[in-house]
Amino acid sequence: MKGKNMKKTVVITALLALVLASSQAFAADGAALVKSNKCDSCHKMTGPAVKTLKEIEARKAPDLFYAGSKFNKDWLVKFLQNPSQIRPAGTVYTNFLKKGEQDTVAEPPKCASKLDAGGAAAVADYLMTLKDASMKTGVAKLGEFSKAKAKMLIIKTEACNGCHRIEGNGGVSCPTFEGIGARLNPDFVYNFVQHPQQFDPKIWMAKRELAENDLQLIVNYIASLK
Amino acid sequence: MKKASLIKMAAFLAASFAIQLSGAKAALAETAEANYALYCVQCHGSAGTGKGINAPYLAVAPRNHTSDKDMSSLTDDGIALAIKEGGAAVSKSTQMPAWKSVLTDAEIKDLVAHLRKMCKCSFKKP
Repeated sequence: MKGKNMKKTVVITALLALVLASSQAFAADGAALVKSNKCDSCHKMTGPAVKTLKEIEARKAPDLFYAGSKFNKDWLVKFLQNPSQIRPAGTVYTNFLKKGEQDTVAEPPKCASKLDAGGAAAVADYLMTLKDASMKTGVAKLGEFSKAKAKMLIIKTEACNGCHRIEGNGGVSCPTFEGIGARLNPDFVYNFVQHPQQFDPKIWMAKRELAENDLQLIVNYIASLK
Repeated sequence: MKKASLIKMAAFLAASFAIQLSGAKAALAETAEANYALYCVQCHGSAGTGKGINAPYLAVAPRNHTSDKDMSSLTDDGIALAIKEGGAAVSKSTQMPAWKSVLTDAEIKDLVAHLRKMCKCSFKKP
């Protein structure tokens, strides 16, 4: 009996070690793919965040040096195989602005890199290792919430739809809410909404003074948009 | 000897002046034009007429910064407060957020001056 238990423990430990080793190997493959695909020619892969408007203007694609704190892995795996437009006016809207009596935007370029399923899984594994150590975790409290109350707060009071497209309607200078619940880690949403400049000092989203229950309502609503 | 002292004093004054200038520049992180182009244009438009790319989706039309009529009814302090604390602080739309998390007081003061240039106006008592 004792010997059987010992055998079991050895097998489980070996399996765990194998899983850990293969996921680390996968992340290493992902890092190599990021390098060979020259992702860093558009994305900032290492911190710190830029601190001047000149550097913001030069930004070609979203920062990825805290991707592991920001994204849900499952979403990353799908997205990397078929990248879609998340920011209707491009990464930095000013770069695609068509000035006129009523300003409009030109069609922004899409990410040219498309990975196969294996590559996407490896890169997602690697990206998930890129964390923001200062981000508070375990703060998003998901549960039942009133969608009507959330929409009242998000649309009427905070007017998030002024800059974000929500349920098919809204502004274009910031990322769309379409599929945002699948895309973003709820803890990241909590931290970012609470203080956007914590991640991106010059980002064109203002910090809002929100009560904890209102912040949780926003996080819950966003998490529900899958 | 006297001449040398004068030269030393002039050099000291010039250096102090240069330090003051560079200090002022460091405090003002970005120009008003650059701040306006990123933070304001998305709603108020590149021409400042309230026709930004987000404007069609806003329940209340963004203010036209080039309008003498609209802008001359606002005090400089009122404009600064609206930028710093948001529309709600001046009993206007909550769609105008508080920009104090990205703009310093000095940058906001500079933005007010920039808006005055755009409307070519100053506050007029009604």
